[in-house]
Amino acid sequence: MLRQFTRAIVLLLAPLVLDAEETTVLSAPENANLGVIDAAASNWRIGMALGYGVRTNPLIQSADIPIIVDLDIAWFGERFFFDNGDLGLTVADNEWLTFSAMTRFNSDRVFFGRTDTRFVRLNAGTANQIDVQVTVPDRDYALELGAEILSDGDWGQLQLAAFGDVSATHGGYEVSASYSYGMRQQRWYLEPSIGASYRSGKLNNYYWGVLPEESNPALPAYEAGAGINVEFRLMGSYQLTSNWTLSVVAEVERMNDAAAASPIVADDYVTGFFAGFGYRF
Amino acid sequence: MFLVCIPLSVTAADVATASSVQLKVKPVLCIIDRRTPSCDMDFLIAWQSPVLGYYCLHNPFVAVPLRCWSEADAGQHEERRIVEKGFMFWMTAEGSDEPVAAVEVEVMTSDTPDRRRKRRTRHVWDIL
Repeated sequence: MLRQFTRAIVLLLAPLVLDAEETTVLSAPENANLGVIDAAASNWRIGMALGYGVRTNPLIQSADIPIIVDLDIAWFGERFFFDNGDLGLTVADNEWLTFSAMTRFNSDRVFFGRTDTRFVRLNAGTANQIDVQVTVPDRDYALELGAEILSDGDWGQLQLAAFGDVSATHGGYEVSASYSYGMRQQRWYLEPSIGASYRSGKLNNYYWGVLPEESNPALPAYEAGAGINVEFRLMGSYQLTSNWTLSVVAEVERMNDAAAASPIVADDYVTGFFAGFGYRF
Repeated sequence: MFLVCIPLSVTAADVATASSVQLKVKPVLCIIDRRTPSCDMDFLIAWQSPVLGYYCLHNPFVAVPLRCWSEADAGQHEERRIVEKGFMFWMTAEGSDEPVAAVEVEVMTSDTPDRRRKRRTRHVWDIL
């Protein structure tokens, strides 16, 4: 299936890649001196990447999350902005930093949408043999309000954020920091990044804990405390044309110990990768 | 048998325009940022026409043609240039200043003063 899909993508886009360096434009050069293409000249940033990728699901009895299409829909005004689900109000912007008030949805809920139910036989072969249904508890999206600070320079880019629940879903908060350093060599671009996020006990316990009423002999109750997730990421891209980009990204996130020790968590790490062609409108 | 008559007043430009001179340039994209505000580009320019004639290659940086070919239907030219803004290479044929083919060299900036455009969202479904 994956091989067929990859072949289809390659066949579809091969002419584009082969012709990328020899575009012939048959038009009169009335303005033979052209400017510099600046994608940021528009308030909108709309793009789509088509390829293949996966984000692993750390939950027990769960399926990984396939990534075939990655949409990028954003709008940036002087104050307000929308960035792929995040809504922001920029209150300060100077040569040192950009400070914005933000709202977002906590998307850890996505993991819980790809689980299934299994039956576990306990005390097999004994008089006390029982079949217990094990279902990963359901969790909701949380609407979070917070603030974000962005800063950049020749030293790289820094993103600091703090978000708290305002939807009475988990009642907790998260504080995160990430640093990235982009390196460009003409069309080639490489960006390693590292990040860490502190998750409060309430947030951690809502998503990764097991309430007594959700527990059974095969799924014990568990209360998760606070913890720090750490992530590494490496993104590389090659600019094929002014619109098309070939991108590859790999990332790994180490779940905090409190979450990783939960009986509903099977993997301590969440890994993700994606390779595909991106088009920016 | 067909008898084809071509008026004597027809120039290479007329024929070339109708028959589409092919002009190819490599590379055609330069990406700049604040660390690298220009591209040092080695252009390989190749053209081809189904009609023998007198053809000239131009760019906007010099008033005279970069190079001309006489009684030719194909040619190549190499040029090294520091590029900071987009421009065009174009071909003309004998008897006319009208371009019969043109290729655009694009310059793109990856820099933006708006830091928000470089922020990362932390959603499970976003990976790029």
